[in-house]
Parts: sequence; structure tokens; C-alpha cells
Amino acid sequence: MNHYDRYSFYLILLIGVVTSSIVTAEEISWHGFIAQGVIKADKNNFVEDDGSTSLKLTEIGLNASYRINSRLRVAGQGVYLNGGNRYEEGPRIDYLFLDVSLLNTEKWHVNLQLGRNKNYQWLYSSTRDIPHTRPSIILPQSIYFDVFRDVALGSDGAALLLNTTNSMGEWDLNWRYGTSPIAGGQTKNLLGEIAEGKLDQKYDHHLNVFWRPNFANMQMGISLLDAKFRYKSATDEILVDGKTRSQRVMLNFLYHSENWDIAAEVMKERVRQEGALSPGFFNDSTAEGGYLQGRYFVNSSLTLLARVDLFDRDRKDRNGINLEKLTGGTVPRYFGFMDSATLGLSWDFAKNWRVHSEFHRVKGTGRLAPIIIPNTELNTDKYWNIWAIEVMHWF
Amino acid sequence: MCLLISPSHAQEVQVKILANPSVNTTELTPGQLRRIFSMRQTSWPSGQPIRVFVLDNQNQTHQQLCKQILQMFPYQMEKLWDKLVYSGLGDYPTIVSSEDEMLASLKRYPGAIGYLPASTSISDLTNIEVSRE
Repeated sequence: MNHYDRYSFYLILLIGVVTSSIVTAEEISWHGFIAQGVIKADKNNFVEDDGSTSLKLTEIGLNASYRINSRLRVAGQGVYLNGGNRYEEGPRIDYLFLDVSLLNTEKWHVNLQLGRNKNYQWLYSSTRDIPHTRPSIILPQSIYFDVFRDVALGSDGAALLLNTTNSMGEWDLNWRYGTSPIAGGQTKNLLGEIAEGKLDQKYDHHLNVFWRPNFANMQMGISLLDAKFRYKSATDEILVDGKTRSQRVMLNFLYHSENWDIAAEVMKERVRQEGALSPGFFNDSTAEGGYLQGRYFVNSSLTLLARVDLFDRDRKDRNGINLEKLTGGTVPRYFGFMDSATLGLSWDFAKNWRVHSEFHRVKGTGRLAPIIIPNTELNTDKYWNIWAIEVMHWF
Repeated sequence: MCLLISPSHAQEVQVKILANPSVNTTELTPGQLRRIFSMRQTSWPSGQPIRVFVLDNQNQTHQQLCKQILQMFPYQMEKLWDKLVYSGLGDYPTIVSSEDEMLASLKRYPGAIGYLPASTSISDLTNIEVSRE
């Protein structure tokens, strides 16, 4: 957690305590969640370096929303997360923004958010850290790449959210521009353990549209992302200065029936890297991936889940042969992809309490940290499994 | 009594939409009602804040509201509220435990909107008709 996050985390707590003492219960609303699980990802470092059973599946959060007047509102959420190697452990600010209602009519709603806002652009991106809002404990890594979690979660800047209806149905258009703070631990997660320098995001530009046709119980969406990063190497380190540009196009689909639903997202992401590994290094590759997920609601408290998720690091090298060749055989070809099949079961055993369990069979290690310089010592198997069980409560 | 507008769901609606007498609006489309009950629209055209009251997810009248008028399933509505609350976009509606409490809340709070079985006889609340989209 960087200084900005630490400062903001305590600020939100302070604001919460102060405002709760000076405003009435009807003006401020509080909600939160707490979850603890057990997880095991064998034969690799997805959660623990030695692949052992782990309790590093802790998610705690508290949020508050205070309406200043009919046009202005402040909202914030602080979370504590421990996911092992999946992302950096510790408290952080999930969001903290001023919401300005620019237009609120029967047909149009336009809001401007200033501050740390969320990624509202993908199906589960805005609440990926909220256990009971996710379909599974581990989200499909082709899209919801844990290593890239902090960057994909949102950004510090401005967001414009438009919602309207017309004869074709309901529309959401979300635009966001800003930068995401990248902590030192995440720099190593992305680049490799040897990285001693500082990785910064120069900008994160995001636009998406969701369309919900009238009376169809479905939603379709398209999302465009453009982000640029810069690596400033430390003195006396192996890595050198570098920059990366990532451009992602995504399509998503949701269909709801009374007893089941289907969700799917696919993406194509072009990544251009210059420098960092060596002064003349250049790589321009396009990754592809996506998932298809079905859920069956056995009754109001029991849900079954099945999902297939596919990811190829380079669409021109789907089986990783070139990756193995280019690295002189030091990076096995199974780092070029990561496909998985998932089965899950959720049981709401009391009001606002749920236990969720799931099993993943995975082929490949293409989405394991670090990304740029893969850890080939700890990730020695092409096929591996994840199982996890988590108890969650929200209020 | 409100009449449902979707040809595919042409049946007698068993729910009536009601609001506090302070609310001037007397007609809304299913899309507008969806935005109000999903907590996206937070004020009436007059600028008065909207206070949304709902019955429990398992309540039959709530299920009829979702399926017959809002054209969605109750679990969809619940997931929408969760998404709003935990991503900073909005808040939950107030969940009341009975139809009596719903009636009392609609009478008590300015700007309130809720629903009751169509057979309920009400005289001192604003009745909101559901119009075509």
C-alpha cells in the first residue's frame, strides 16, 4: 500500500466517524462485508509459493455514502484484502469520489464522478472484491487477471456515467480517464522479482456501452481500454527504463432466465513493450481470451456454477512454441496460455450469509505472476488445480 | 388498477404502484419504474427525493412487481442493488417486513414510492398508472 492509499484509508475512516456523529442516520448509509476462506492452488505460486493449502483468502470492507444535497454525494469504500501472491496484501481505498448529478430526468441520468472511481465497464469489474456479488471466488483470469487487479479496478481521475432509455431499451455509457497507483509489490508481480525500479501508469482511458433491450432479459456490451505505463529503473539494477501500451477491446453478454443465467465476455488485447528487459527490447503481441459461464438457481438459496475460460498470450503463438524458442527454452511453452474449467456451489445458509466452494482444473500458467519475467522454478506443471471454500457475510 | 403493457405478458396485473400524496407524478413507464426501483433515479421531476420501499425478495407481491411490471426477475433486482451499494453508485431501498408497514411508510414519508396487492383499497395515496414504453 503506497502512502497515498494509506492516507486515504485513514481519511475515509475519519470522515466516517466524524460524519456519523454530525449527520442523522437517514443522511448517511453504511454497508460492509467480511469473508474468510481456505484455498489451495497446487504445483505453483498462484496463492502460496509452495502450492500449499492457505488461509490467505480474506476480504473485509466498509463503505459509506453521504448525500450532501440533491446533486452532490460523497461515497467511499475501504477494503482489506489478503489473496496471497494474487495481489498485494493490505488495506486500500477501493473508491472515494464526489458524485455530481448533472442531469436527472425521467429519460436521462448523467453523473460525473471525481476522485478514485471504479471500473464500471466489465460485468464484474466494479465489485470484484465484494465476495457475495461475484459468481465465484476466483474470477475468470482471461478477463479478471488478478496480477493486474489494482490497475483494472479503477483509477484516480474523472468518470462520466450516462443512463438513458428509448424505444430500443435501456442504455449505459461510461467514460473514465485517470491513472492507477501501482504499489512496489505489484511492480514485482507484473515485471518480476528482480524489478527494483518504479512502474507508473501514465493514463488509463476507458469507454463502454451496455444495452438492455426492452423485455428481453439480456444485456450486451462493448468496452474499449487504452492504457500506457512507464518503468523507471533503479540505479544498479538489471532492468532498464521502458514503456508499455495496452489496448483492449471487449464484448460482453448476459442473459437472465427465472432459474438460470448465462454470462460471457471475450477480449482482444494488444500489448506493445519497449525496453525494460534490455535497451533494444521490443515486443508487439495480441492476447485473446474469454469465458462462457452458466449458473443454475436450484432454489432461492442454492446456486450451481459451470464455466470455461480460455486465454492465449499471443494469438500468433497460441501453444507457446515461439515463447519457448525466444527464451532459449528457459520459459516452457505452457506459459503461453491458461485455460480452465470451473465448477462451483453457493449456499445462502442464513440472511446475508453465504458459503461458496469451487474447483478449477487449469491447463497452462500464462496468467501467473510475474508476467514479464515468469517464475519457471515454482511453476513446473502444465496441469494444475485450484479448490477454494469461503464463508461470507454482508451488511 | 394498472394494466400491463407488454403484449407477451398480457394479463391482469396483481400489483398497484403507490406513492406518498406529496408525489405529483401519476403515470410512469416500466422503464422509468425499473430505474426508480433499481435506485438509479433518485429524485422526482419536481426535484423531491425519491424514497423507495420494497417488500422482502420472497414476498409474492414483490415477485409480481418484478416479473409483471418491471419485466425482470427478483434475483436480478437484488444483484443490481448489491452492485450499486458496493461500487458507490447508490443505496439499497428500504425493505419493509409487511404490507401494513409498506402502507404506513408510504403515508409517512414525503416522496415515498412502493406497491401493494391490486386488491388493496387505498384512498389517501397517489396511485401511479403504468403506461406504455
